[in-house]
Amino acid sequence: MSFGRPPSISTGFQVTPPNRGSFPLDHYGECKVFMTQYLDCLRKNSSTSTECRHLNRDYLACRMQKGLMDQDDFKNLGLVNLKGDKPPDSATSPGDK
Amino acid sequence: MYTSAVIVFAVGASYAAVPLYRMFCAATGFAGTPVVGTGKFEAERLVPVEGAKRIKVHFNADRSDQLPWTFSPQQKYVTVLPGETSLAFYKAKNTSDQDIIGIATYNVTPDRIAPYFAKVECFCFEEQKLLAGEEVDMPLLFFIDKDVLDDPACRNLDDVVLSYTFFRARRNAQGLLEPDASEDVLQASQGFADFEHAPKAEVRNGRGAPASVPNP
Repeated sequence: MSFGRPPSISTGFQVTPPNRGSFPLDHYGECKVFMTQYLDCLRKNSSTSTECRHLNRDYLACRMQKGLMDQDDFKNLGLVNLKGDKPPDSATSPGDK
Repeated sequence: MYTSAVIVFAVGASYAAVPLYRMFCAATGFAGTPVVGTGKFEAERLVPVEGAKRIKVHFNADRSDQLPWTFSPQQKYVTVLPGETSLAFYKAKNTSDQDIIGIATYNVTPDRIAPYFAKVECFCFEEQKLLAGEEVDMPLLFFIDKDVLDDPACRNLDDVVLSYTFFRARRNAQGLLEPDASEDVLQASQGFADFEHAPKAEVRNGRGAPASVPNP
């Protein structure tokens, strides 16, 4: 029913596979540069994830482009409204870029 | 005697009714219960809770001795907000001169965070083939559901350890790949080491443990 209820037979006490399955292996290192950018950002920000989420998005966008991940909206991956994004309202002034 | 048995049964049934009813409703959608097979991963749940206390997720990597790989996390920990999806990377290198297929299991400690720790996509449960001498980066996309803030048992939870164990793969009697390790090692890697009656692999032919075929 809701996600966070206490563990019972049907949830929590079973090991469940991940929602989208397994990432295909990046044998050719096609997205490695995005990964190193993300890891450097984590190092600089004392491993706080919020600062570096835009690099998460870049890495996953690279994976989607190279066919290493199913195409999907970033909304479904929780990667919208990140720091540094332009706010979505365009009522007052149209944003450039 | 009979009366007391009936009373005991009625009391027991009233205790059992709550989870049984929940399971029944979740399975059948009775009385308007939404069927939330993927309710955990809706876009609305993947919104970080600003201002909540950060949880530090530590990463741990193990491998079985039969697996000639090096396997390590690329970051020691990440501090995340509840509801915030986050990437983490592991690195694996096949140091032998043969192509090897590995399978990973994972475990989250402490146990009380387990219902809230959700992985969107990772590299576990499915076979991963590394060519001889190959090194790959394995990503993992996870989040901690925001309902953890409502759970009194998780109130003082600051540190979570996510631990992956890689095993060599072998084919079981059904021809499917499974980790090549004894049952107790496998259950220990999933955190069931202290449990006497840990879940066991299903045996369908009724003739005892399936015979294993040498690694492909």
